[in-house]
Amino acid sequence: MAGRRIVVTSGKGGVGKTTTTANLGAALAKRGLRVVLVDADIGLRNLDLVLGLEKRIVFDLVEVAEGRCQLRQALIKDKRFESLAILPAAQTRDKDAITESQFESIVAQAAEAADYVLIDCPAGIEAGFRNAVAGATEAIVVTTPEVSAIRDADRVVGKLNDRRLPMRLIVNRLRPEMVRTGDMLSVEDVCEILAIELLGIVPDDSEIIDTTNRGEPIVLDAAARLGVIYDKIARRLEGEMVPFTSFDAQGFFGKLFGSLKAG
Amino acid sequence: MHQPIPHEEAASAVKLGRAIVVTSGKGGVGKTTTTANLGTALAQRGASVALVDADVGLRNLDIVLGLESRVKFHVLDVLEGKASLDDALVRDKHSETLVLLAAAQSREKDEVDTEQMRALIQSLRERYDYVLIDCPAGIELGFRNAVVGADEAIVVCTPEVSAVRDVDRVVGLLGNRFKPQLIINRLRPQLVKKGKMLSVEDVNAILRLPLLGVIADEPEIIITTNKGEPLALRREGETASAYHAIAARVAGEDVPAPAPEVKESFMEKLGTIFGGRRA
Repeated sequence: MAGRRIVVTSGKGGVGKTTTTANLGAALAKRGLRVVLVDADIGLRNLDLVLGLEKRIVFDLVEVAEGRCQLRQALIKDKRFESLAILPAAQTRDKDAITESQFESIVAQAAEAADYVLIDCPAGIEAGFRNAVAGATEAIVVTTPEVSAIRDADRVVGKLNDRRLPMRLIVNRLRPEMVRTGDMLSVEDVCEILAIELLGIVPDDSEIIDTTNRGEPIVLDAAARLGVIYDKIARRLEGEMVPFTSFDAQGFFGKLFGSLKAG
Repeated sequence: MHQPIPHEEAASAVKLGRAIVVTSGKGGVGKTTTTANLGTALAQRGASVALVDADVGLRNLDIVLGLESRVKFHVLDVLEGKASLDDALVRDKHSETLVLLAAAQSREKDEVDTEQMRALIQSLRERYDYVLIDCPAGIELGFRNAVVGADEAIVVCTPEVSAVRDVDRVVGLLGNRFKPQLIINRLRPQLVKKGKMLSVEDVNAILRLPLLGVIADEPEIIITTNKGEPLALRREGETASAYHAIAARVAGEDVPAPAPEVKESFMEKLGTIFGGRRA
């Protein structure tokens, strides 16, 4: 049976699509699932950097589409995980270097030998978005709890609805202390506006900036708070009922020891 | 020092205002926030400023300025002759000399004609000292339409390798014509100090661009952005001052670009008390 094809999208840029794709993919692979990550951001690729694989790129997505190489030649295996591979985007080409149907068939081919194909969608809703979505049968919408990000996500949800793609939501970079002071929208607020099923809540954590810069997915660190969170999201994708943990029980000591809980 | 030109004079004189595109390649690094705050800071100096949201389909500049309920017409209405420029320009709530031309929300980027966009920016330059264009993320058609009317560029970059790579690509695409200048956004001095974030020097060792300023990452930005009140409306505070300094530099003043400094936080103090272990 072919694997699931999920596009990770948001409308707005910089909300954490690439970081989510990398870490969720790594969490799934850590659980023994076969995962292929596809970078659909032609011209502005970054998934390779976030996974620290930039020096190992030989072929890219556009070269596969043009028939210059086989898909398996372009896939880069992540040595830290047995079953994780990425298909990098081309860096010096434009988004229209590939058609929707080419993209769709490459993703379908990747899914034949994988349990999950996660597609890292570019920002915006132009040709790059249409390509990335064309290959998918499901979507994960990533948003931050900010008015502008939610407005953009809402636009994307509308577009995904038109295509009848089932979708779930990840609320990224939540700052519980700002929610408590009323300076940030809560997860409930966001869910109410977007009205799609919640898949995960990821708190804002400076640790992720560092691991991303170093090209090491945070799930590699068994002790990392966010690693646990991405693993929970992976389990939910696998169909497990994993309860969301509330952020509310935050006393002074909770704050002191930095032990924020998350889902 | 840059002398603000009164409106009527600007219209009659040959002198054109400056059209500056605010771009980055990567999304979410703060283009819109920068456009709103720099525009506000320039207006506070007495300059007349038009802000143009070029992110057709995913507009946000109206929200950041708190003007979303006042938008009647958008850039495509003007380009298609459905509204005059005067009708479409929304006067800012806070700054008298600041106006916004909103993007169309329910339209697509490929509906914008590149040559018409160039002409639109040109006619704004005849009327305003500054035309700041808020560019969409990416390097697709939306990017090309945003830069077409500009003669200068401000590139916004966060201290992250992925943002630096995207900016580097955009600077390459822009070429020399736009004289790109750099704003480093969302710096966390504490993380830099601990070696967990790229420093201003690290970023600019790669990009090698004239530095306009450095803005610290602080929750206040999120709060003011959500409220639709740009931080640069304030006279005091580190980040507001940083925006005013950037505006002064854009206007040609030789003011220093102060970088955010490390302040010892409560948590760090506690850490020292408890034998240097960071909570």
